[in-house]
Amino acid sequence: MADTKLTGIYFQSAIKGNEDTVNFTEVAAYIKKYNNVAAIWNADEVSLADANNVAAKIKEKNIKRFVIAGDKPGMEKSFFTKAMVNAGNKAEDVIIASFREHGAIRNADTNRAKAILACAVNAVPFEEATQTAEVPVNPNTLVIGGGIAGIQASLEIADAGQKVFLVEKTGTIGGHMAMFDKTFPTLDCAACILTPKMVEIGQHSNIELMTYCEVKDVKGTPGNFTVKILKKARRVDLKTCIGCGTCTEKCPGTAPSEFDAGTAMRKAIYIPFPQAVPNKYLIDGESCTYVKSGKCKVCVKVCPVPDCINLDEKDEEVEINVGNIIVATGFKIFDAKRAEQFGYGKLPNVVTSLEFERLVNAAGPTGGNIVYRSQDKRNNWVFKGDADIPKSVAIIHCIGSRDENYNKYCSKVCCMYSLKLAHLVVEKLPDAKVFEYFIDMRAFGKGYEEFYERIKHEGVSIIRGRTAKIEEKNNKLMLRGEDILGNKLIEQEIDMAILAVGLEPREDSANLSKMLGISQTEDGWFMEANYISNPVNTFTGGISIAGVCQGPKDIPDTVAQASAAASRVLQNIVRGKINKSVKDLSLEEIESQVNKLA
Amino acid sequence: MSQKVDPELTAKIEKFGKGTWNECFHCGNCTAICPLTEQGFLFPRKGYRAIQMGLKDTIAGSVEPWLCYYCGDCSKTCPRNANPGETMMVLRRYLTSVYDWTGLARRIYTSKMFEIGAIVFIAIAVLLLYVSFTFFPSGEGNWIGQDGGVLINKIAPWKRIHLGDWIMAGTLAFILISNVFNMWLKIIFKDKSVKIPFTAYITEVFDFAWNFITQKRFNKCDGTKTYWFLHLFLMLSYVVLFTMIVFFLEWFQTDTVHPIWHPQRLLGYIATVGLFVGIIYFINNRIKKAKENSKYSHYTDWTFLVLLFLTTLTGIMLHFFRISGMPVATYVTYLIHLMCLVPMLTIEVPFSKWSHLAYRPVAVYFANLKKAAYKKNLVK
Repeated sequence: MADTKLTGIYFQSAIKGNEDTVNFTEVAAYIKKYNNVAAIWNADEVSLADANNVAAKIKEKNIKRFVIAGDKPGMEKSFFTKAMVNAGNKAEDVIIASFREHGAIRNADTNRAKAILACAVNAVPFEEATQTAEVPVNPNTLVIGGGIAGIQASLEIADAGQKVFLVEKTGTIGGHMAMFDKTFPTLDCAACILTPKMVEIGQHSNIELMTYCEVKDVKGTPGNFTVKILKKARRVDLKTCIGCGTCTEKCPGTAPSEFDAGTAMRKAIYIPFPQAVPNKYLIDGESCTYVKSGKCKVCVKVCPVPDCINLDEKDEEVEINVGNIIVATGFKIFDAKRAEQFGYGKLPNVVTSLEFERLVNAAGPTGGNIVYRSQDKRNNWVFKGDADIPKSVAIIHCIGSRDENYNKYCSKVCCMYSLKLAHLVVEKLPDAKVFEYFIDMRAFGKGYEEFYERIKHEGVSIIRGRTAKIEEKNNKLMLRGEDILGNKLIEQEIDMAILAVGLEPREDSANLSKMLGISQTEDGWFMEANYISNPVNTFTGGISIAGVCQGPKDIPDTVAQASAAASRVLQNIVRGKINKSVKDLSLEEIESQVNKLA
Repeated sequence: MSQKVDPELTAKIEKFGKGTWNECFHCGNCTAICPLTEQGFLFPRKGYRAIQMGLKDTIAGSVEPWLCYYCGDCSKTCPRNANPGETMMVLRRYLTSVYDWTGLARRIYTSKMFEIGAIVFIAIAVLLLYVSFTFFPSGEGNWIGQDGGVLINKIAPWKRIHLGDWIMAGTLAFILISNVFNMWLKIIFKDKSVKIPFTAYITEVFDFAWNFITQKRFNKCDGTKTYWFLHLFLMLSYVVLFTMIVFFLEWFQTDTVHPIWHPQRLLGYIATVGLFVGIIYFINNRIKKAKENSKYSHYTDWTFLVLLFLTTLTGIMLHFFRISGMPVATYVTYLIHLMCLVPMLTIEVPFSKWSHLAYRPVAVYFANLKKAAYKKNLVK
C-alpha cells in the first residue's frame, strides 16, 4: 500500500539556459495521485530566506515528510532540514529526489522523473524500486574506436583472457595520438608509447581487429547484443598483401592525406602511415581512377602477389554477438574556418594545431622541419621540406572553445599542447620568436604547472589576451590583440600562426547514441551514468564509454578511463550475469514496486 | 594613486541600461577587434574592469566611452556574449548623468515616469505661453496675404517667438556648457598623470571643429558608411534649422511666400529631407533591430526619436498650411509644433541623448589634448 505520511514537495526551478528539460509541470500534476501529498511548492512560490516562515507553512499543512525535487536538490537540503526540525519533524524525513542523478535530464525523461519522485514521496530508495532482473552475459566484447582509448580497453580485456572485437572506421588503429609528435608534460615521443600497443593489438590472439569497418546497427539487451558491422571494401586482401609498396608508386590517383591532417598528399592506394596496424594497403574509392572511371588497374598490373588486389570488391555486412560494448569514438577538431577573423583557409600560414603536429613530427611530411606552407605542382597547399623557415610563430589559444559563438566549454587540452608546441618550436628553431596568446592558462595536472614554468623559462613570450584577428599585410601576418596585463594594444607582424583548436564531438555521435540507446549532453558528448562516481558506465547496461567521446580530456585521463571501462566489462564477464537496464523499466513497473515496498 | 571602491556602482549603472558586465572574462577580444581603440585609449574591456571593480572615479574620468561609435564588431565576436558595444552605450548614458550637476539627467535616464512627466509639464507650459502671447485667427481682420499665404507674423509675431527662443537657448547653452566644464574637470583636470601643454588647447581646436562638421571619427567605424552619412546629414540639417530659427527667425518666418528656389525655402526643404530620412532610417533600424547598435533600445532612445519625428512632421504641416492660406490650421499646428519642439530641446539637449552633440566632439578634443601631452612626454 502507498505510504500515508503527509508529504510536502518543493520543486526547484529548471536550470537556466537549457530548454530541453524534464517537464516539471507534468511531474507535479502526476504526483498528486498519491494521496499523502499535502502540498506542492514551486521555487517561485517559496522564499528560501527564512526557515521559520517555511516551518510555519509545514506546520499549517501538518506535513511530516518533505521532498525536495529537481536537478540539484541537495543544494536546498540543509534549509528544508532546518525548517522541518523547527516544525517539530525529524531531520531524516527530508528526502531528495534528484532527477539528474538518476538519469532524468531531458524532456523525454519526464516519466523517469515521475518514478524518481514517486519513490521519494513514499520514502522508497530509487535503487530498491528499480532492481532489474539478471540475465547471462555473452563474454565477447565490442570496442568501437581504435584510438588510444579503444586500444587500451581492448588490451585490458584481451589480456584478461576474454575475446574482443575492435572496430575502427579508418584503415588503421592509432587515432589522433598516432598523429602527435610529443606528449605533455614529459615530452615523451607519442609514437614510442603508442606503436608497441598497436602492434600488440595486431598480434593478440584474443583480439579480432576490424579496421575500415563501421558499426551499422545494434540490437538486443545488456549481456546479449547483436551488432551489424559494415566491412567497407578495402580492395586489397589483408591476408596476402605483403606491404611492398609497388602499387602506391605507380598509382595515379591522389587525395589529401588524412593522417597528415591534409598537409600532404597520398595516393589512392595507400597505407595510412608507416607504422599502421594492420600494415597493409587499402584503396580509397573516392580517389581511385578505376573506381571513378572504370579504367586504370595499374596497381593490379604491378602487384607481385596474384589476386591480392580486387578492384571490384564490394562492401559487405557481418554480424557479431557480444555481451558488452565499450564506446571510444574520440573527437574531431574544431573547424577553424568557422572563426573567420583568424583567416584560416585563406591565409596559408595560419595553421591548426593538428596540422602543426604533423609539421613538427619527424615522421611528418617535412621530416620535422618547420617551414611555411607552399604549393605543390598541382597547386595544393602542402608542407614541403624545401620551403622557407618562419622566424616568428604565434600560438593562439581557445579557438572555438570557451566561446558562446562556438563551444561554451573549455577543451581542456589546448593550453598544455600549446605550451608543448611552443617548446618544440624553440627546440627546432632556436632563433625564432614564439608568442603565446592566452585567456587563462589551465595547467591543471600532475607536473603541468612545472611544465608551464619550464616553457616560460625557455624564452617563449606568454601574453595574456586573446587575439581578435589575423590579417595579411606586406606578405606577413598581422595580428591584433590586447596585452591585458601590460595594458597595451598589440599589432604584431608574425610569420606563422598556430590556432589552438578545441575538441568537438564527432558528427556521427548523434547517430551512434541513437543506435546504442545512450544519451548525449547538450554539447554532444556521451553521457556517463554519474559524472563524479560513475564516469564510465552509461544508463544502458553493458555499454561503457571511454576517452574524449565522454568529454575533453588528455591522454593520461583517457588511458585511465579506458582501463576503468574495461574493468566494468570484466566485472560483468566474471560475474557471468548482468542486470537489465533500469531505463527499460516502465513507470508502471516502478510504481508497483514502490507500492510493494512502501 | 589609490581610489575608493564603490560596491554599489554596478547597481547604479544598471539603471541606465542592460547590464552584462558579469559576463566578461577579460579576454581582450573587444579591444583588439575595435577599429577605433588606440594606445592610451583602450576600450571597451577596460570599462568592464572599472565597472566590475566599482571604480567610480575611473569611470567618471574616462573619455573612452565617447570615443566608441558602436559599430558592434565587439558584440558580434565577444566570446561571452557580454555585449561590449551596448555596455559602452550604457556608460555614455551614465556619464551624461555624472556630468550633469542639476541631477535631472539621472532622473530622466532612470525613471520613465519622470521623463514623460517632464515632457508633459513643458508642453503645457508652452501651451499656456503660446495662448497668452499669440493671436487666434478669428473675427475681424485679414489673416491672409496677397500671395495667398497666411500672415504668420500676425498670428505669432516673430519677435515674441524669438524672445522665447533666446531665453530657452540661453538656458540650454548655460547648462550644457557648464556640464562640458564639469566633464573637463573630471577628464582633464583631475587626471594628475598628464600635463596638457597649453598650446594644444589652441592647436587642437581646428581638429575639434573639423571633427564636429565631418564626424570623421565615426566614419572610421567599419561598415557604417550609410549610417555615418545619414547621421551626418541629419546632424547638419538640424544645425541649419536650429540656426535659422534661433538666429534668423525674421528671415525664416516670413509673411510672403517666396518662390520655391528662394534660399529660405530651398535650405528649409533640404534640411527637412535630411531630418526626415535620418529619423525614418533610425526608427526603422530600432524597430527591426537591424544593426548591432539598434538591438537594445532604451526608452530615452525612443522618446528622442519620437519627439524629433513629431517636431519634423508638424513643421512640414505648418509650412503647407501657411502657404495654402489656412490660418486656423496654421495657428493650431504652430502650437503643436512648439509643444513637441520645446520639450525635445529642453530635455534632450542638456540632459539626455542629444547632449552627445557636445560630449562626443569635446571628448575627441580632450583625447587629442591628452595625445598631445603623450607626444611631448608630459606624462608624470
